[in-house]
Amino acid sequence: MALSPIDSPKPVPAAAKALPAKAKALTILNASTSSPSNASTPSSEGPQDLSEQLNEQVRRNYVTGSRLGEGTYAIVYSGHLRHDPTSLVAIKKLKVNKDYLDGLAPDAFREVRALQELSHPNIIKLYAVFSTRDQNLNIVLEHLPRGDIEGLMQNKSVSYGPADVKAWANMLAKAVWFCHENSILHRDIKGNNLLIAADGEVKLADFGLARTFSDPYRPMTYNVITRFYRPPELLYGARYYGGAVDVWSMGCVIAELVLRHFFLVSNTDIEQIDAITDVFGSCTEDVWPGVSRLDHYIPPAKDNIKRPKPMIYWKQHFGMLGDDGIEYLKSMFVLDPRKRATARQVLDHPYWTNNPKPTPKELLPQAAGGVEKMAEDLKRRGGEIEEGDGRADKVARKLNFADLKR
Amino acid sequence: MSRAAQRSGAAPSKRAQEDGDMCPVCKSARYLNPDMRFLVNPECYHKMCESCVDRRFSQGPAACPIAGCKRTLRKARFRTQTFEDIKVEREVDIRREVASVFNREEDDFETLQNYNDYLEQVENVTWNLINDIDVEDTRRKMDAYKEENRRQITRNQSNAAQEAISRKAREEEDHELTRLRRADARREDELERQEKSDARKGIINKLATTKGDAASIAREGRRAELKKSSAQRVALDKKRDGDVFSSGTENGDASSAFLFKGLKKRVAPPPEKPYDPYGGWSAEKEYFSQQDFYDWDYLSNARTDPRYSAGGYDINDYCARALCDAFSGFGVFIQDEVSGRDLGSTPSMATTAAAAVGGERVDAKMDDVF
Ligand SMILES: Nc1ncnc2c1ncn2[C@@H]1O[C@H](COP(=O)(O)OP(=O)(O)O)[C@@H](O)[C@H]1O
Ligand SMILES: [Mg+2]
Ligand SMILES: [Zn+2]
Ligand SMILES: [Zn+2]
Repeated sequence: MALSPIDSPKPVPAAAKALPAKAKALTILNASTSSPSNASTPSSEGPQDLSEQLNEQVRRNYVTGSRLGEGTYAIVYSGHLRHDPTSLVAIKKLKVNKDYLDGLAPDAFREVRALQELSHPNIIKLYAVFSTRDQNLNIVLEHLPRGDIEGLMQNKSVSYGPADVKAWANMLAKAVWFCHENSILHRDIKGNNLLIAADGEVKLADFGLARTFSDPYRPMTYNVITRFYRPPELLYGARYYGGAVDVWSMGCVIAELVLRHFFLVSNTDIEQIDAITDVFGSCTEDVWPGVSRLDHYIPPAKDNIKRPKPMIYWKQHFGMLGDDGIEYLKSMFVLDPRKRATARQVLDHPYWTNNPKPTPKELLPQAAGGVEKMAEDLKRRGGEIEEGDGRADKVARKLNFADLKR
Repeated sequence: MSRAAQRSGAAPSKRAQEDGDMCPVCKSARYLNPDMRFLVNPECYHKMCESCVDRRFSQGPAACPIAGCKRTLRKARFRTQTFEDIKVEREVDIRREVASVFNREEDDFETLQNYNDYLEQVENVTWNLINDIDVEDTRRKMDAYKEENRRQITRNQSNAAQEAISRKAREEEDHELTRLRRADARREDELERQEKSDARKGIINKLATTKGDAASIAREGRRAELKKSSAQRVALDKKRDGDVFSSGTENGDASSAFLFKGLKKRVAPPPEKPYDPYGGWSAEKEYFSQQDFYDWDYLSNARTDPRYSAGGYDINDYCARALCDAFSGFGVFIQDEVSGRDLGSTPSMATTAAAAVGGERVDAKMDDVF
């Protein structure tokens, strides 16, 4: 397998915050003594082969408890270490996938591989992986009990302001930047994959669609990213793309935090292009050289070239961010992905150091929380049926896996 | 008085007025109008109801309607009374005002003694204002001090304001207010007692030694008896005479009105660290530095052909990944052996290595499941 990048970003004071890259490179995920309670980096002992990980020993370490949530390809349970009921974890149990009965589901594999590489306060921690007798894969993750950003954005009983938005946006931006520095594309950034830890830290989760930056000429699937968050290049069927796709999604999440509703909304992929161009203007060769060469590009009618919304629109809807905030937000929505801000450029923007200061995470507003919140969450997700496309990639994931395999 | 009794009561009684339940201006009683609020103006502290304030002062400043007062009052300065006793209310106001001007903190002084001396002088000023002693002179000096120390005062104010943000500070303030209220109540008793005995003594002395009408001597006596006859008093008088006041010494507070000894020289605090949007993480490469451009045919199409580039595919990202993969291998195994050699400062080597890696199609060697 590929070695972890030794030069991955690291804390400047060489703190034990993250696993040293070197150790990480030599360590394969599970050690039989793995434990999330007594260390933040619980699994770093004896190297084991990936196949060996899926073992009884690890499985017996954990006790599965109540259900926390359900995604497209997994049900997530709360759990704890057998010998320590206070050590909470989340156990993501992959749904049986008939197509992969005698192999590993690709989603799970992506998730494990990506998370193995990434150790950062704003990225969900992976503790262990094990399989059960029915060949289901279980991923043991950091327990993040305070709901997600989408829930927060929609929960009108939680009020928040510019400093709070800045704090959440910054945690998201750091996570995206860290993924990209480690050559990993997330490809499913959205409010409900941004989970909130007990201490208020926002963590990017659900790496089921993640992958490394591709090699030249190696096509990727364009059917990634939940529609509302999908950038124009993917809607136009680009098969060669980069970190800019995640930056677009990040812009959408920040925008909806301000608006308190989804930003670019539509019912089909074609309509999604309209939703985007209504705000940002038509995609033409002028603003985006080469766009007409993308497979699914549809040129706008000559008499219907849309102009981007004027500044007054931004001030009206996003005034909360201030002028600097509007500028940095717009930089994430440049149609041409080559001109879009990179995650690093986003973090370098003066917005972060200008006033107001981001709210310290312990002081961030939070939803009522607890079991009630969980129930409400589940309801919300149940009601929000996005016809066939909510997780547009349910099918795409399987279809495109062949592309992705070497 | 029970609610039922109130309702059955006919005319506003004398009792109601004493209880503070009747407006001394319009004579309406609170029990007829439960929403009625009383306001005071710190100019004279005469109490009246909100609608009287609205009626009389909405057109601009006007004279206080309470018989014998005549002070000019402004509507904006009316507020609800915090303390039951109007004397306490006034004293707290004065204390608050003085404290906002003399807001130095213990930290500003070199020794605790210096700080205590300062507090004592401030207490003298407060005392004078509360008891109407040399009010004009004291006010003039306080204003001069305020003018001369404007910058320091605002700085300490903002310190205090920042402190007040924390919940703890707010709690402490509540405690302090309660403490003040109690202390004020106690002081008042004391004062009254003292007043009565001293006054009598003073008047008798005066009457015995000077001529003049008894009434004016008595009035004067009443004033004098309020003065603090302590050493503090003497010290303040001496200062007023100018001997200690002359000019600010090196570590003193240069002021024509007051001199506080032992003030520390103010060193500008280090500027607060700006927020780090990276949260303390950096992505500086330890083992290689990437160049903007690698001349390698394999990459040129991906760079120029819009089918590859228009979607945002960036070969620099690929190069970064390839270099990273390559050097993580080097890092783990070579780093320790090649001690003392700084790989990071030899980009040409990095380039060669990357080219070599790329040329061998590094990806083919790695079982990348993606
Ligand atoms: N670590 C966790 N702690 C608490 N709840 C979680 C955790 N991980 C996932 N969940 C819950 O389960 C849901 C589905 O998880 P997710 O990883 O997004 O699965 P999928 O990839 O199938 O969408 C989430 O929306 C969340 O409500
Ligand atoms: Mg999900
Ligand atoms: Zn009245
Ligand atoms: Zn009056």
